[in-house]
Amino acid sequence: MSEDKIKITINGEEVETEKGAVLIDVCRENDNSIPSFCYYQDLTPQASCRMCLVRIDKMPKLQTSCTIKCTDGMVVTTESAEIEKAQRAMGEFLLANHPLDCPVCDRGGECELQEVIFDWGDVEERFTEYKNVQPEKYLSPIVANDPQRCILCKRCTRVCDEWMGEDAIEAGNRGVNTVIGTYGGWLNCSQCGNCIEVCPTGTLLDAVYRHATRPWELDQVVSTDTYSSDGMQLSIGSRGGEVHRIVARDRYVNGLNGEFLDVKARFAHEFINHPDRIKTPLIRYSKGGKLIPATWDNAIKFAAEKLSEHRDSIGVVASPRITNESIFALGRFAQEIGADERVAVSDRQSMAEFYANLSTPLCSHRDIRYASTIILIGGEPEEEQTYTAKQIRQAVRNGGAKLIVVNETPIRLKTQASQFIHLDRGSYDAFALAFTEPDALRDTIDTMGVEASAFEDLFETIAGTQGDLIIMVGSDLSPAAQAAIAGRAARMSADARRVLLHSLPLYNNSAGAIDILPGAKNVEDVAAVSGALLITGSIQDPSVLSTAGFVVVQELFLTETTDHADVVFPAASFAEVDGTFTNNAANVQRVRKSIEPIHQSKPDWMITALIAREMGFDLDFEFASSAVFRQLAEIVPQYAGLRYPDMKDETRPAVLKHEVVADRDVTQALQQLRQGLESSARPGGKNQVMPPIGHRLHRVTTMTGKTPQFHLLANGNPKPDNLLVAPLEQFNPDGSVKEVAEAAVIGIGDRAHIGVNN
Amino acid sequence: MATATPTSYTDQIEYTNEMAEFSPEVVEEMRAHVAKYPAERSRSALIPLLFVIQRERGWVDNPGVNYLAKFLNIEVTDVWETATFYTMFNLRPIGRHHIQICKTLSCKIMGEPEITGHICSKLGIKPGETTADGKYTVTLVECLGSCGTAPMMQVGFDFHEDLTVEKVDDLFDKLA
Amino acid sequence: MEIKAIGCEPLQLKRVLMENGHTLEVYRQTGGYKSLERAFGMSADAIIQEMKDSALRGRGGAGFPTGMKWSFVPRDSPKEKYIVCNADESEPGSFKDRYLLEGDPHALIEGMLIAGFALGAATGYIYYRGEYNYLIDIMDEALREAREAGMLGENILGSGFSMDIHTHTGAGAYICGEETALLSSLEGFRGHPRMKPPFPAVEGLYASPTVVNNVETLTSVPQIIDMGGIAWRDLGTEKSGGTKLWSISGHVKKPGVYELPMGYADMEKFIMDDCGGMIRDDKALKAVIPGGSSVYIMNAGQILGKNVPLDYEGLVEAGSMLGTGGMIVMDETVDVVESTRNLSEFYKHESCGWCTPCREGTDWLVKIFDRIAAGGGKPEDAQLLLDICDNIEGKSFCPLGDAAAWPVQSAIKRFPDDFRKWLDTRVNGNAMGV
Ligand SMILES: Cc1cc2nc3c(=O)[nH]c(=O)nc-3n(C[C@H](O)[C@H](O)[C@H](O)COP(=O)(O)O)c2cc1C
Ligand code: SF4
Ligand code: FES
Repeated sequence: MSEDKIKITINGEEVETEKGAVLIDVCRENDNSIPSFCYYQDLTPQASCRMCLVRIDKMPKLQTSCTIKCTDGMVVTTESAEIEKAQRAMGEFLLANHPLDCPVCDRGGECELQEVIFDWGDVEERFTEYKNVQPEKYLSPIVANDPQRCILCKRCTRVCDEWMGEDAIEAGNRGVNTVIGTYGGWLNCSQCGNCIEVCPTGTLLDAVYRHATRPWELDQVVSTDTYSSDGMQLSIGSRGGEVHRIVARDRYVNGLNGEFLDVKARFAHEFINHPDRIKTPLIRYSKGGKLIPATWDNAIKFAAEKLSEHRDSIGVVASPRITNESIFALGRFAQEIGADERVAVSDRQSMAEFYANLSTPLCSHRDIRYASTIILIGGEPEEEQTYTAKQIRQAVRNGGAKLIVVNETPIRLKTQASQFIHLDRGSYDAFALAFTEPDALRDTIDTMGVEASAFEDLFETIAGTQGDLIIMVGSDLSPAAQAAIAGRAARMSADARRVLLHSLPLYNNSAGAIDILPGAKNVEDVAAVSGALLITGSIQDPSVLSTAGFVVVQELFLTETTDHADVVFPAASFAEVDGTFTNNAANVQRVRKSIEPIHQSKPDWMITALIAREMGFDLDFEFASSAVFRQLAEIVPQYAGLRYPDMKDETRPAVLKHEVVADRDVTQALQQLRQGLESSARPGGKNQVMPPIGHRLHRVTTMTGKTPQFHLLANGNPKPDNLLVAPLEQFNPDGSVKEVAEAAVIGIGDRAHIGVNN
Repeated sequence: MATATPTSYTDQIEYTNEMAEFSPEVVEEMRAHVAKYPAERSRSALIPLLFVIQRERGWVDNPGVNYLAKFLNIEVTDVWETATFYTMFNLRPIGRHHIQICKTLSCKIMGEPEITGHICSKLGIKPGETTADGKYTVTLVECLGSCGTAPMMQVGFDFHEDLTVEKVDDLFDKLA
Repeated sequence: MEIKAIGCEPLQLKRVLMENGHTLEVYRQTGGYKSLERAFGMSADAIIQEMKDSALRGRGGAGFPTGMKWSFVPRDSPKEKYIVCNADESEPGSFKDRYLLEGDPHALIEGMLIAGFALGAATGYIYYRGEYNYLIDIMDEALREAREAGMLGENILGSGFSMDIHTHTGAGAYICGEETALLSSLEGFRGHPRMKPPFPAVEGLYASPTVVNNVETLTSVPQIIDMGGIAWRDLGTEKSGGTKLWSISGHVKKPGVYELPMGYADMEKFIMDDCGGMIRDDKALKAVIPGGSSVYIMNAGQILGKNVPLDYEGLVEAGSMLGTGGMIVMDETVDVVESTRNLSEFYKHESCGWCTPCREGTDWLVKIFDRIAAGGGKPEDAQLLLDICDNIEGKSFCPLGDAAAWPVQSAIKRFPDDFRKWLDTRVNGNAMGV
């Protein structure tokens, strides 16, 4: 490190830096501002905008500082008449064909072109010729495109390629006719919207937010994604109690994910202000009767009374979507009434066993980017933990890492893998056994449909790995398999090799639920033994509630679960509460209140506390989420000593101290796996079809379904033949309403219908 | 104004997943092109193969693009980005005879305007247009590397040089 | 159209002028592939030394010393190495390579083989501009002949050296003549130039060491090996060795491809005598673009009576460049505003669109010329045009930007009267022939 320290001179001032550092970064670190458009850190440089020109001694012509690697003794000038003329010239060129419609442009106010022109432009308008015109259009239900504003910095095509590995958007045509686009004119991809995020101008736009309001009228609040377990940091833009958009622009937020978000995190936020939100508490006075609006006082009283009647058989169900504070509140509630045995978490695929058997630490997302080898067992990160997937891709693409994919489905990531172990259906257990107990290979090998050589290659790669070996485990593995792999991972480490673990749980706070409710059972078991139930969120199979004597549900929307409820309390969404989520890399991050709770809703933890108090015991929360967290940090060991102030800065997320025991005793888990081999209930056979991009991302759920565009996406990833529905009412470029009839004309009337009515 | 600026291929088409089909001979020809390049560099064959598609299908059409993407194992948009860069690929249907008149300096000063004028009035179209019967498309193109025999034009791949109005008339009699 | 050598024995044109000069048979009868055999007897360094001695400068336009370019190739590198022939000939006014490719394909094959042998390359590609499709058939036939005769493929002529050569086609893009854009195109991508460094000699095709040479450059190689670098150089001058092919077009009686010794004296004699002078006897010489469209335009005053020697130094001295030796001659019927507009349209059409100044600048230039042509010229347009050119020149990603600026800059400076006529609308409002 220190020996590649070098000295360079910028505008007469000597500064120290690393050999090979990019000049433009070094200049900026030493506050010599340099304008740029095409430059973007950790993307391949392209030096096309010519905005970053500087003078370097002993070099002919001006040089682009975005491509110059610093060498010792380099003498650089960033400010001179010559350079200023060049910068103004580039600005002038870029504006030549750029419409000056900033007042109506959605990027107005946060447009990098606008800013640079303010600082370096102020040329008198010499361009008096006509401007080339290109029509506005929609590339997909959620990506709007105004080609005329494009300055061809090609950030979008590079993130699509390097971050997403989708090559969905590219440059077409030539010369001044060059445009950013796709074959056929429709974006066929996961619709992550990262191209929108990195676009410095108003060329690629968020169609959901389009024309809604002006950026500077929005209050920006930094918070955490409410969908994926990667814990992506984002900025919620709201105005007058309404959430208008979610972005990760670095001017507002700088979390572990940089400017990266996925389609749900960025676009699926219309549920927050959706008219279907439950407005008041609801009471069903008699089984089979209707839910009738009630005041909070009455509803709390009613719920508390009825629950008290079943005091010794109350069960609680925590949702893996709600904040740590709210999960903790349920735990405390159960504790107070001695219901520890009747606590459940409604996670479809819990990873509790994985966390209970850590033999080596969890990795950070940054570790993934710089790993030497990554073994991905099960899971589908490209659809469920998109940021993890992006880090994997860049590790392979930009970092030369080896990726080994072990899966029962040929997931798309396999195309980046140096080895793909394609298991027969239902063979994860067998694999986990062979992977952690090499001598068990003999009895397992012919049960999973792969050659023994695959394992030889696998172990060879591991043995050859220097640096970080990261083992990722999907939540679709059985608890026993999770335990075995987590518990045996440490055995694969060596002097020059550090082994790290990474989990792929399904929900944004699955990890937090595991930390806070260690002994939690699954919903079915708890429902079976509970006379009454206090439930947050909705559960997979509500029919298990039919036997319960009394059911209280805290929800945002009426669902099949609330159909079984006797009392329903309107809960506040993540955008309306303060609290914390815990991600799959053991980071506890802040969820911040962006708008006041909708209608009469309240944070889940508060509802729980109100019921408790009415039942005669106080959870001592002082009705402040910070107080709830303080109590949590006293009781839950991994969180010991943490306070909100420690999580103030999203650029340095707090990391939990999970208990790591180098050699775990996992004999019991291995036993189960062995027994599993006997039971021949496995479907077997191979799943050959690679699932389409978006098969999970675009699923319409209670929350995503509230954003109309998702009905289009869910109709199959928008391939042109089914994306012809794009010009639905709300998608008209000029904002005017287009007849749904038109959708019918192009033969997808019914789809358009779904799109509009849901 | 009639310069042969590349057509902008950005229209939103009713995309189909349909695959073009080719005779074994043509597939063989395609393989031969791919064989010129290192195994993992088959994308190098993209431009030669686009010419094959254009020859076989008349223009670079959607099923043809789908076929190429599959044949070379790249995205259709990768085919599009390359194809639209080069002016010799037509991503829209054109006339059976593609008449490309060189309009660059040497041809210009040696009588290109007269030739163009003659051909256009003959066919009743403007440069960049196709005759109603779909037989001829006329485009003005940049230097074809034949300045010594200006004015000149290319019909399909054939050079026609030292053009005079008479020569043009003879040619059209042959084409007709 | 004329094809002939003046002031020297036809070297480049030797077989171009012969019946069936393109066949292997005639090629061998006339000493073909002897140089290859001789090269097999030489060390790589010796061959490169001969190239250096020959003072051969790249004929593709940039005029970079070929021997030096070859010496940049890291021959010990474990990577594959490639020889790429630049047969994209798209420079307006330049059409010499076409006749070499048509009349003497084997000379190119032999030149590439010698280069491949010297630099340890096993593969060569010839990149044709898409419009030269019919030449590809000729070359493919020649390659087939060579392969059958054991001049190509495994263990050539029993030397133990193996190399194969393939033809590749572009599809209509001037920029693909720029060597790095050519490589992008050869890899199946858009023809965008690449950053230099790394230079192709170090990281070129498929990120491997690659030599890109023009057709005429490579066809010179067998001659140089045959007669020795010094002797070949002495055909020309100290600094510009050998003979050079000139493509001459426009208002001369005998346009064509002429082979002249470097340093031929002089430009006026060449145009006025050798090429038969002005096509219309009553019209005087007005302007000449000596090296293909990408160089400064010259007015008659810079040529007549100035005995300008035809070589790199001579033309720079005279205020232009040799470029590709594509000479466009214009008599007084030509309006230089119109001719400059024509070239600006060319560069706008051919700009690859990668970098801001060239993409937007060329578009802007054309729009201004269109307005002027429509009679809307303003006196201040001259200054504006010059300043736009200044903002493109030296700031673009590749030299095409400069090439777009130079013709305009020189035209305004050297033909002020033509511009004055257009830029003062009060004197003249009528549109020029559009
Ligand atoms: C815009 C542009 C166009 C060019 N076109 C050609 C061309 O058509 N043929 C060619 O041989 N070189 C062309 N060149 C020069 C090549 O970049 C390169 O210098 C040449 O092929 C090297 O070969 P040489 O050293 O033998 O000349 C062009 C350069 C530029 C900047
Ligand atoms: S100067 Fe820039 S835009 Fe022009 S051809 Fe070169 S790279 Fe492309
Ligand atoms: S930032 Fe350097 S050229 Fe664009």
